[in-house]
Amino acid sequence: MDVSRYIKHPLFLILFFFFIAPVAVIPLGGMSLAIEVMIWAVFAMGFNILLGYTGLPSFGHGLFFGCGAYLFGLFQHHVIKGVWIPLAGSILGCVIIAALLAIFMAKKRGIYHALLTIAFTQMFFFIAFQWDAVTGGENGLMGIERYPLSFFGLFNIGIESSLSLYYFVFAILAVSIILLWKLIHSPLGTVFYAIKQNELRAKYLGYNTPFFKWLSWIISGAFGGLAGALHALLTHGAFADAIHWTRSGDVVMMVIIGGGLTNFFGPVLGAIIFIALRDIFSTITEHWYLFYGMLIVAIILFMPEGILGYLKVGKSGAPDSIKEDSSKELKPASLDLKGVE
Amino acid sequence: MAELLAQLFNGLVLGLLFGVMALGFMMILSVMEVINFSHGALFALGAYFALTLQKFVGYWPALILAPVFVGLLGLAIERFGIRRIYGKDPLFGLLLTLGLAMAFEEIIRIVWGKTGSSLAPPAFAAGPINLGILWYSKYLLFLAVLSLVLLFLVWLFLEKTQYGAIIKAGVSDSEMVLALGKNLNRLRTLVFGLGAALAGIAGVIAGPMWSLKPTMGTEILMPSFVVVVIGGIGSFWGAIIGGLIVGLSKSLSILIYPRMSELAMYFIMAIVLVLRPRGIMGEKSLLEE
Repeated sequence: MDVSRYIKHPLFLILFFFFIAPVAVIPLGGMSLAIEVMIWAVFAMGFNILLGYTGLPSFGHGLFFGCGAYLFGLFQHHVIKGVWIPLAGSILGCVIIAALLAIFMAKKRGIYHALLTIAFTQMFFFIAFQWDAVTGGENGLMGIERYPLSFFGLFNIGIESSLSLYYFVFAILAVSIILLWKLIHSPLGTVFYAIKQNELRAKYLGYNTPFFKWLSWIISGAFGGLAGALHALLTHGAFADAIHWTRSGDVVMMVIIGGGLTNFFGPVLGAIIFIALRDIFSTITEHWYLFYGMLIVAIILFMPEGILGYLKVGKSGAPDSIKEDSSKELKPASLDLKGVE
Repeated sequence: MAELLAQLFNGLVLGLLFGVMALGFMMILSVMEVINFSHGALFALGAYFALTLQKFVGYWPALILAPVFVGLLGLAIERFGIRRIYGKDPLFGLLLTLGLAMAFEEIIRIVWGKTGSSLAPPAFAAGPINLGILWYSKYLLFLAVLSLVLLFLVWLFLEKTQYGAIIKAGVSDSEMVLALGKNLNRLRTLVFGLGAALAGIAGVIAGPMWSLKPTMGTEILMPSFVVVVIGGIGSFWGAIIGGLIVGLSKSLSILIYPRMSELAMYFIMAIVLVLRPRGIMGEKSLLEE
């Protein structure tokens, strides 16, 4: 067994980076930012299954992030004072929401798909915002606790301090990345990518494409819920503004900035850059949104393939089929086949 | 009874305004295949431009000039921004206009301040009027008339001019329009300019009804979305019907259960989508591919 092969693997390098990051982060006092980066990395990578690999533009995934957080809190308040079961509840709840919503979505693609995601996320925003008996409305759902992690009642590990929470989130990040990596390199991942490249062709090859789109929604929704639950642990609360459409662009931007459309690890880089920029700009100016808006415009106009795509390092982690520039969509091919439908 | 009638009137007025917003949004959506997230911000800019212009030129010139400026801004956005992303994933247009919307909203905060300001209605439309069955705001009636005029002009443009024919043809088959030798680039610039101007004038006329605040654009954007989804992409009458449905659902739900006023239109949207996945008047178009 060749150990060096594993050490050079980008998965290993990324995880090693996050494993040792606290050495640098603790002196700077940015532990909660570092945890946030990892949470958003989980969210963005899961989201990228839908966006980058299945090619379905969603602007509504803040919905899962928000619902994950609420469900985590609700489970803690009403079911059990723990971490594992609320976490599982958040994921399961988001899977159910995704499964229901995706019934509408799975038959759509492109711009119409995006339009519907925006409308639905806003619907959930108002439900969360108005239903204050359950969600706490404007004030958010407070009192979410970092209870110790219990391992089958055998032993407990506290996650009260930010360092221990960091390594808990790190462990989840590691499991998530490995799961997603396996998924992308599985036959299922290939079907997702085939749908992105040309849905009609995938259909004619015998794949039930609406079903796979539905599945892609569920997977991305599950990771959204997981990330939302972790964020609730970090901030001790769940808030409606995570669901608002103005926030739903954040995760999309992370994927784009990092180069997630062409690289498996793009969303991780995107999360690091996004959180860092937000932190820097919002401390030096109260008009962070002006800079954020202009940054979005600049990236879309001048660097739409994101940082990793721009630097052409898109090859390292991506499967062979994903090496080509996937930002140039399948327009011509689908137009050719229009008469066939 | 009077209350019900008043809310019914409010709903209709609001519906016409949403129709104006949704038509501009939809024209941009169908011709350029861009979900224009900045549509709300352009609406807000229209209102704020009018706020400043009224101080210098009075009501009527401001009513014309403010939308013209917003339209010019729209032309610039198309020429220097959106034109570069045609043919790419719809996501890029969406993000580009989202970025612009955020920047515009923040610019409004910087230039005109964070707190609300109010746009005065013209003198002849101030105060209430006795309609026999109820006292109703003169301005809202004036707003309804203005919206109807705008809707009529848009209808004339879409149905009676060559540009309108090209736009409608472009929705069903943009390749064919190109093949017939129509200059899509000029058309797209024009359509974005017009759509922006429509948003701008909607902002000017809605200004006296609501107070002006930087987030007003964000607030009207979602109803415009929902109107288009309910009415169906690419249909003039769909936008009108959708607008009225959303307007009425907002105002009538205030009577029954005020908390539902923001939510009602989403539930209606969900029901419409179950029954008619392309919206009430929607037909199959290229946008679904």
